[in-house]
Amino acid sequence: MRFSRKLLLWTIIIMAISLGFSGFYFVNYVFETALTREIGQAMEESSILQFAFQTAALNVPVKYDVLSDQTIEQITDNLASGGSGRRLRVLDQQGQGIYTGDGFPDDKALLSQTDPVHDAYEIIRQEERCYIRTCTVIDVLNRTLYLETMRDVTEVFRERQLGFTVYRRVTLLMLVAGSVLMHGISSWLTRPIRLLTRATRRMAEGEYTYRARKVSQDELGQLTLDFNRMASALEENVGKLEEEIKSREDFVAAFAHELKTPLTAIIGYADMLRSRRLDEEKLFLSANYIYTEGKRLEAMSFRLLDIMVTKRSELQVQQVDVSQLFQYLSHMYQADHTMYFRFIYDPGSVRAEPNLMKSVLMNLVDNACKASEPGSLIQVTGRAEKQGYRFFVEDQGMGIPKEEQEKITKAFYMVDKSRSRSRNGAGLGLALCSEILTLHGSRLEIESQVGKGTTMSFLLPWEGQVTV
Amino acid sequence: MIRILIVDDEKPICDLIDLNLSAAGYQCSAVQDGIQALSLIESRSFDLILLDVMLPGVDGYDIMEYIRPLGIPVIFITAKYEVKDRVKGLRLGADDYLVKPFDVVELVARVEAVLRRYHKTDSILSVEDVVVDVDGRRVTKAGRPVELTNKEFGLLVLFIRNKNVALFRESLYEQVWEGEYTGDSRTLDLHVQRLRKKLGWERRLAAVYKVGYRLEVPE
Repeated sequence: MRFSRKLLLWTIIIMAISLGFSGFYFVNYVFETALTREIGQAMEESSILQFAFQTAALNVPVKYDVLSDQTIEQITDNLASGGSGRRLRVLDQQGQGIYTGDGFPDDKALLSQTDPVHDAYEIIRQEERCYIRTCTVIDVLNRTLYLETMRDVTEVFRERQLGFTVYRRVTLLMLVAGSVLMHGISSWLTRPIRLLTRATRRMAEGEYTYRARKVSQDELGQLTLDFNRMASALEENVGKLEEEIKSREDFVAAFAHELKTPLTAIIGYADMLRSRRLDEEKLFLSANYIYTEGKRLEAMSFRLLDIMVTKRSELQVQQVDVSQLFQYLSHMYQADHTMYFRFIYDPGSVRAEPNLMKSVLMNLVDNACKASEPGSLIQVTGRAEKQGYRFFVEDQGMGIPKEEQEKITKAFYMVDKSRSRSRNGAGLGLALCSEILTLHGSRLEIESQVGKGTTMSFLLPWEGQVTV
Repeated sequence: MIRILIVDDEKPICDLIDLNLSAAGYQCSAVQDGIQALSLIESRSFDLILLDVMLPGVDGYDIMEYIRPLGIPVIFITAKYEVKDRVKGLRLGADDYLVKPFDVVELVARVEAVLRRYHKTDSILSVEDVVVDVDGRRVTKAGRPVELTNKEFGLLVLFIRNKNVALFRESLYEQVWEGEYTGDSRTLDLHVQRLRKKLGWERRLAAVYKVGYRLEVPE
């Protein structure tokens, strides 16, 4: 059952019980009061009649010492006709009726309860009407008589009945009105819950960007806020995971693609060698292709291994003198006369793993060479900055289009494939660099203009400083 | 002579295809990027184009769009194995699809199949006095007809198309029987035996130790 329905149902039940109980109590109270008043009046009338009877009896001319039944009858008849609707009955000491008014019931239940000190009364029901019957004792002229009266109190009972009926109607009306009102209130109160439920469902169906609307300032509003915060955190994580999976898939696809080309060549040439008699020239060509393509595979697998190892390894950092790195670089490239190299650096030392740092710089320089025309300038600069030591590798090559700059550190990504491959690139150098730099708490920054050249730089923070 | 254009950005692959198709008797030209390919297609006419999908400059699909109205048959060569890539190539009007890494024998067979569909192959093959009419499925030796079974005929055509090439048992089996080679070579040996007898080629169809057979024809 829905929460708002439950709320509504319980409210109605409690409302019905309390209204019913209070109504019954109130109507009954009014009735009791009215009945007590009626009884009081009946008793009063009874004693008045008693007195009147005695007076009348004493005024009868005394023929006998004893009051005769006939006289009693006469007196009673006079008394009965003295008031409208007055019903009387007179009985003697043995309970024999001397005078009986119209419609007086024929029983003697009250007699036993009545004595000269105490009058008695009872409420009786006769032919759909209610009466108060009183009984009092009259001692006159040596006779003991019982005088009974009947007073019609049907009205009081009818009023009670009427009270109940009216009250029932009012209760019903109140319940209906209350239900409608309560329905509104409960659905207003539970609105945040419904909105939250809808959000949960939508999210379960995969719509991770859907958020619940906050409509109240209470605990439910707080819950909505917390839920949305949780959803955002989840969405972020899911996004990250998806991105990771995507990049892994891309990596595998790129890897498979890069693997297939040298494999095709190796398999094809080897097949030719084993199944055909080739002349000297073709023999050399085939064997050479198998060799160079095999070498390409080897280079690729080593690079891949480097990346894997770098990803898993703990970094052994130490203070490295910058001049040591630059000397190594100029030594490495001093035999290379296809490019014009220039190395400029501020003195200083950085915290790094020297071999990995050399590898980063060499990869960047190699990349710069690949992107440049022979004979152009490649400049490596080291500059001591406020936050750390920054390395720049600058070339005047073909540059990298803006939309490619983000992807460039992905494995197997090559801006110009045919060109890069003809220089034995596998598209893994920058991926390796960015892995190593991440380990050093740094990252590769790329500034490039198509046709003018590229500057790659990274900052190694001074000890104790943290860069973002 | 049938002219074939090879477009692939990898020089080793270009050379590999070139060498093999030249040996099979085709005249090949090879280029390494899309722009060169387009200018070559404009200036010369070709009977078949082997096209790599991933090319620098203009990509293989774009070249395909350009070629289609010319009616030149095209075989795509690519490292992409996924169905959607193959379907895309075929939708664009390619005649066949070759996925790297491929077998040289398969390459030659596919080239032939596409050319045959366009009726561009020579349907009459001959080795000395043996003449094979591929379309008519007739074989004559010195003018007299020779009765061959289906498999024997298939073998004969394969041998003649790959003259002086040692054909491996597995590739012979895969091409002619069109099934996976299970290592049982007796069926194949039996067929070659009968072919030798019917054509009197006991010495021509030489067994190559541990490999298979080779049709030896002095060049």
